[in-house]
Amino acid sequence: VTQSTTRPRRAGTDGAQTAREARLARDGRKRPATKALDNPLREGLRLERMPDPFAFVLFGATGDLAHRKVIPALYQLWRTHLLPHEFCLVAFGRRDYDDESYRQEIRGSLEKHSRVLPLDETAWRQFSERIVYQRGDFSDDAAFERLGTRLEEVSRTAGTLGNVLFYLATQSSAFAEIVGGLGRAGLDHEVHTSGWRRIVIEKPFGRDLDSAVRLNREVGKVFRERQVYRIDHYLGKETVRNLLVFRFGNGIFEPIWNRRYVDHVQITVAEAIGIENRGSFYEETGAARDILQNHLLQLVTLVAMEPPVAFTADALRNEKVKVLRAIAEMTSAEQAGRDIVRGQYGRGWVEGEEVPGYREEPEVDPESETETFVAAKLEVDDWRWGGVPFYLRTGKRLPKRATEIAIQFKAVPHRLFADANADPEPNLLAIRIQPDEGILLRFSSKVPGLGLDIRPVNMDFTYGSSFSVDSPDSYETLILDALLGDQSLFTRSDEVEAAWTIVTPIIEAWTGMPPPEFPDYPAGTWGPEAAEELIRRDGRSWRRI
Amino acid sequence: MASTSAPRRSRPTRPAVAGPGEPLLRWSSRATTIAGIQLELARIWSEPKLVASVDGVEERRIAARTSVMNLVVIALRPEIGKRAAATIARLTGRHPSRTLIVLARDPEGRNSLRARIEAHCILPRADAPETCAEMIHLEVGGQAGRHLAAVVAPLLVHDLPVTLWWPDEPPFGAPEAEALFRMADRLVVDGSSWGGDGLDRLSRMAATVQAHGLAVSDLALVRQSRWREAIASVFDMPGLLPYLRYVRRIAVTYAAAEASAPAGGVNVVKPVYHVAWLASRLGMTVREPVALRAERRRSQGTGAAARVHAGLLEGPHGEVKVTIGPLASELPSGTTLRVELLCDRRGSELRAAITAAAETVDAQAWVDGLSVLQRSYLAPRRTDVDLLEEAVESGTRDPVAAATIRFAAELAARPSVERPDPVASEQVT
Repeated sequence: VTQSTTRPRRAGTDGAQTAREARLARDGRKRPATKALDNPLREGLRLERMPDPFAFVLFGATGDLAHRKVIPALYQLWRTHLLPHEFCLVAFGRRDYDDESYRQEIRGSLEKHSRVLPLDETAWRQFSERIVYQRGDFSDDAAFERLGTRLEEVSRTAGTLGNVLFYLATQSSAFAEIVGGLGRAGLDHEVHTSGWRRIVIEKPFGRDLDSAVRLNREVGKVFRERQVYRIDHYLGKETVRNLLVFRFGNGIFEPIWNRRYVDHVQITVAEAIGIENRGSFYEETGAARDILQNHLLQLVTLVAMEPPVAFTADALRNEKVKVLRAIAEMTSAEQAGRDIVRGQYGRGWVEGEEVPGYREEPEVDPESETETFVAAKLEVDDWRWGGVPFYLRTGKRLPKRATEIAIQFKAVPHRLFADANADPEPNLLAIRIQPDEGILLRFSSKVPGLGLDIRPVNMDFTYGSSFSVDSPDSYETLILDALLGDQSLFTRSDEVEAAWTIVTPIIEAWTGMPPPEFPDYPAGTWGPEAAEELIRRDGRSWRRI
Repeated sequence: MASTSAPRRSRPTRPAVAGPGEPLLRWSSRATTIAGIQLELARIWSEPKLVASVDGVEERRIAARTSVMNLVVIALRPEIGKRAAATIARLTGRHPSRTLIVLARDPEGRNSLRARIEAHCILPRADAPETCAEMIHLEVGGQAGRHLAAVVAPLLVHDLPVTLWWPDEPPFGAPEAEALFRMADRLVVDGSSWGGDGLDRLSRMAATVQAHGLAVSDLALVRQSRWREAIASVFDMPGLLPYLRYVRRIAVTYAAAEASAPAGGVNVVKPVYHVAWLASRLGMTVREPVALRAERRRSQGTGAAARVHAGLLEGPHGEVKVTIGPLASELPSGTTLRVELLCDRRGSELRAAITAAAETVDAQAWVDGLSVLQRSYLAPRRTDVDLLEEAVESGTRDPVAAATIRFAAELAARPSVERPDPVASEQVT
């Protein structure tokens, strides 16, 4: 078979192209028409769509991410018949394995990390037959040449039709090197004889605006934007995806989803765990880079975005980018000091166990100034949200693992029940992302009895009780999307840069400030006092989660 | 029917806790009147002794009662009811419903109603509260069995959609069945289980569906989703897509005990659905409905004439021949073995063949004799639970399925002059 399935169709074949269409097409920005639109037999089959045959080249194949997430996700997709027979996992790593010993290694890690255990022996046998190991060093051009030869061989023997997905599950410092190597070996080429080529890049994508722009440029020299899938696994979570359905699939919420009715928004990404033996990584990263720049800002965009014109990758991402651009930058250190709080945990108790402080963790500088907690007050300065603060917080070693978006509505305009024992509380809509995924709406109700007591009650929807079925892991969702060529849940280059435009000035402002007095919150508490003050001074408080 | 509540026995059952995802019978009681059933349903949820034993210690788990739909099963034979109940219990987790399994028996006997009320619960996760759904087994005797709608209606949870699952042969057109169709939002049937070639009933179903504005899920059609996937995949290739508008022939081969046996005895609903799906997607119309005719098969070389269904469609670029023929096979009769498409575009010929293998569906395509595609799709045999789940999961109306069934009915239409429809008089609108 010789056709490439993903090359963009020429825009305007039936008539003249506009200059803009021509430019967009040239820039690779215009998403190729989807198969579903082209092929009338695809209508109604979307959920059943099966990816084209493909080779999955996994860089960092011996690393933690590959073992814990990527390969279990692929195995699960295979086990549930969502991958074509003609697929091959080409594991690329520096360590000295051969096909068989690598398969044994994978078997061991699947037995620990697979979502469904015990392993299905038949599925594992078929899956393992499709795994090959390719030894090589990222800095060695010859290794990429050998990879190219192996891919040609795989294309012939496994029938993968030349379609290749490159997955970078390595340290971020290796991204540019790998992309360069792929480019020099010509492995990015989508010529008509060799199927599609796509690349999935893990976070963190850069460590500030400059490095993100540089990395985008390096990637852009080799791959077109439509070939690039920057992964943020939060976007693959079921509840996050449901947020779009909740907002745009229901008529009753969108009319009140604005400054007129919403008092403020709170988004919490709390982790009970510490840094889990990743001290050297975290020392270089910190909470602002690790969570705020990607997960938290992505959640803000999904809450605040305007309805997209279509449910397509670029229509969605266009709206998300607008939100990021509308978030006021922290242009001064003073502003950053006022609206952003950082913190670091000290020794304390979490889930009934005493845990060390951050500075006592392995591979961490005893004088470290790395933040393990960030709280921020941001404003989305647009027509819909002007004047509505978005309070965000994330941290390690908080009392529990919880991710939640809370839309706090304004109080009723008129105190009708002034004689009641308590004023009605303003309505609240809480979208729990993990754990106990669900949606809660709080409203006031009269307490039964002769008096007029008003109490808030909850209308609570829990995914677990309405659909007691396992949601797919976010990696399964996202890998399948990448294989199907759907970029909706992946971050576009301008989106990454816009997010860094918000976060970089904050990080830079911190470097110009006097050293923080860390640690400033005991492990097992909801962050430093300054975080409480950040919201308290506006007459509000963090939700008790 | 008696209006007083008869004596009843009720017992919360106390088995050990099942693992997460495993359904468990947690309550069972009996009643003989509608009012009695309603009382029992209320008692289930006020019963303080819904307990489970965990490591030898009895503890109560908070049971959340959930329903996303009413599921009414009309079982004309007890074994069908039993099988349906087992299937539905396994569906509790994903689609908790109030289920009524209705069995009409002894129509000449005394009016009677016997009901067994059960609560089936599952633990979504080990640490989550239980989710429970109600299942009511109803045995309706005497004349009441001809008025099942009157028994079912008061037991439905209001404001929830009603799915009517008729596992056997629904008597489309019969007044008692029509009354049930009227109260349903969705009808679930299995066209491949119908007697004869199934085509008469298919036509009558299409008329009923249209008359009542019912959404319909035919498990025979649901079962073929992997086939549709495989067929569609051929035309995902940009080079082959243009041929799709130039289909000249659609041929479907199905399994039969003997290829030369009279085809009228084998249910051909599934093969007809293949043609109907393709034709409705491609904007074709029926010029001549399929009719049986004898055809000598070159490939078999036995000299025996197979009886095939042949018809004629009108496509965007001319006529399209349809043949649906049997092939001797050990597989269950009526199982699709192969779907072939022949396209002729400006002198270039595309032939696509989708074939069933042991665990896969294989797609192959040739352009002017040269192989351009060879792919396999895993197609594991799906259980009743999978099929029912997919059928009810499609939620509201599935326009593709509706169009396919409508087209299949047109394709199967029997010309009244040559062969009077023996059931036409039963049809109601």
